[in-house]
Amino acid sequence: MAETTVKERVVEAVKAIRKGPRALQMYMEMCARCGTCAAVCPIYYAAPEKRFNPVERSDLLRRVYQRYCTASGRLLAAFGGLREFDAADLDRWAPAFYECTGCRRCATYCPFGIDNSVITRKGRAILDQVGRTPKTMQKVVQISLETGNTDGASAAALRAALDFMEEEMRESHGEEIRIPVDVVGAEYFYVPPSGDVLVNPEATMGVAKVFHVLGLADRWTMSSACFDGANYGLFTGNDADMKRDNKRYVDEAIRLGARVMLMGECGHAHRIMKMMMEKTGWWGKLPFEIVNCMEWTADHIRQGRLQFDPGRNTDPVTYHDPCNFSRSCGIVGEPRVILEASCADFREMTPNRAENWCCGGGGGLSAMDDIREFRMKVSGKKKLEQIRDTGARRVATACSNCKRQLTQLMETHREPVEVTGVHDMLSRTILVAGKAAELVDYTR
Amino acid sequence: MDTVRFIVGVILPYLALGVFAGGMLYRIWVWRKLASPPITLFPAPPDASANAWNTVQEAVLFKSLFRGDRGLWLLAWAFHVVLALILTGHLRVFTHADALLARLGLGEQDIQAMSSGVGGAAGVAILVTAVLLLVRRLTVRRAREISGAGDYFALLLIGAIVVTGNMMRFGAEHFDLNLTRGYFAGLFSFADVSGAPVLQHNVFLLHMGLAWLLVMLLPFSKLLHFGGIFFTHQLIRKH
Repeated sequence: MAETTVKERVVEAVKAIRKGPRALQMYMEMCARCGTCAAVCPIYYAAPEKRFNPVERSDLLRRVYQRYCTASGRLLAAFGGLREFDAADLDRWAPAFYECTGCRRCATYCPFGIDNSVITRKGRAILDQVGRTPKTMQKVVQISLETGNTDGASAAALRAALDFMEEEMRESHGEEIRIPVDVVGAEYFYVPPSGDVLVNPEATMGVAKVFHVLGLADRWTMSSACFDGANYGLFTGNDADMKRDNKRYVDEAIRLGARVMLMGECGHAHRIMKMMMEKTGWWGKLPFEIVNCMEWTADHIRQGRLQFDPGRNTDPVTYHDPCNFSRSCGIVGEPRVILEASCADFREMTPNRAENWCCGGGGGLSAMDDIREFRMKVSGKKKLEQIRDTGARRVATACSNCKRQLTQLMETHREPVEVTGVHDMLSRTILVAGKAAELVDYTR
Repeated sequence: MDTVRFIVGVILPYLALGVFAGGMLYRIWVWRKLASPPITLFPAPPDASANAWNTVQEAVLFKSLFRGDRGLWLLAWAFHVVLALILTGHLRVFTHADALLARLGLGEQDIQAMSSGVGGAAGVAILVTAVLLLVRRLTVRRAREISGAGDYFALLLIGAIVVTGNMMRFGAEHFDLNLTRGYFAGLFSFADVSGAPVLQHNVFLLHMGLAWLLVMLLPFSKLLHFGGIFFTHQLIRKH
């Protein structure tokens, strides 16, 4: 009985693809099966097996669509050519749709512009509807919806972390560099990933220093209720969860009276705010705009308003493009402006920008410790090779998920490479009242 | 046998064109009415006209594939260009293209020379590229493991059409273009063509029948990429 229900729900959900969106329906119908996606997929690169072929993964959904939604499928089915969907098929779906990082590299090279990440997300959405989202993933969504951040941190924890940062900056610069919290009427509302407050404090310190140097220290604020742009509804495919999580931040920006929601170094958070929420008007017309902190800082650097002492940062540094920033938001030049200003030896990995490879932890995989071995040996293999080839001692990136994946990757493979952020590099070399900070190792 | 000739020669042309036109129009109608929230992939063209230009480049030059898989690009692009050339050549059968060419200053013999030279070379080239695509599908693991009956069927169908076409061009019994023109002119004017002498030519009948089958399959198979490509690239690069 229960089996029938699950089957029916999956089939109904697949049939709903006929109602759109347009891209997804077309992807169900027009793949030429040339295998180009597999040639550019980080997972297939490391494990060239049929089950990791992007087409085979997408076919899990496509086969059901063809069986129930196309004339040819129903005709073939009548002659016994296509079998019915079986709830047991979900046993393959569940791991398969979480073996794709949704990095969209395949979409970049597909001759037909087929974006397998759209299919992956639909597969995950259907899994979510029948309660088959992996537990490690579901936990993050729950914590986020309950506490407003993926780490489950309290307002007190945030304040303690910010106090620590202010103290650090006072010591290293001999100046009061403030991180305002809950200031109603502030122009800028800064929304980092919570990791950049709790785990990598230098990123938030970097942003604070930029405001300080520009003389805008009293024009920005963070929120003690909303300090994590991360939104795992994007990863589970659950639009309702994604919007619920998002609404809290939009409401907070309105309450604070902000004119700019300054998104932190978190690719998917920025993508949801800018490319989804703002662009398609989930909540109507808003009194604020979405800007990324890297765009904002890079603009001030280009205008010559910020000075640096890159001589303090001489180790070779490379930049890993988070898929959500590069392919999904088009933010590629800005982090490089910041890194080239704050690093004496900045070097590119190959390929880079919109053609860069995924870290192997995209699509929320980074948070799943149960598939760590897969991430270290398979999905992250190409990235490891890319980083090795640069000879860099530091890899900067602008995404908490990428950072977690890369850190584990470097540890697992014993690479003496530090994983850091973009504003972290800025924080170490930006001149405040003419001098840069004393170098402190925050990784210990 | 006469029944077969009647079905393929008189009914199938109208049926196939109807199925093709109806199928494609239905597809496009469905696609157009479906919502398409932006799923922008960067670098994205800055505006709609740049996006349209990008789509043209994708459809004509296979721009993305060029960067993704150079070897496949070479094969696929050559195959489609030659295919387009051959289809253009077939216009001589359906239209007054010869009159147009004559007005451009080409004599009857020039046209014949061009037809057998370029057309003959194209017939060989498309067979070679189709075979190479088949070999690729059979030997390259990432393509082989996702290939199904439909993928091989499409290639073999095209191969059969090419072979029968080449048989008419290179065969001992030379094919009569004027008789074919007469037959198609009859079809276009809805005249009774059941007695058209060209339908007695078995290879022609097979060539044309398979071609109509291919035309009918376009909207209902992976060959749909022929129409879909104009939509999907535009969708994914839409700002």
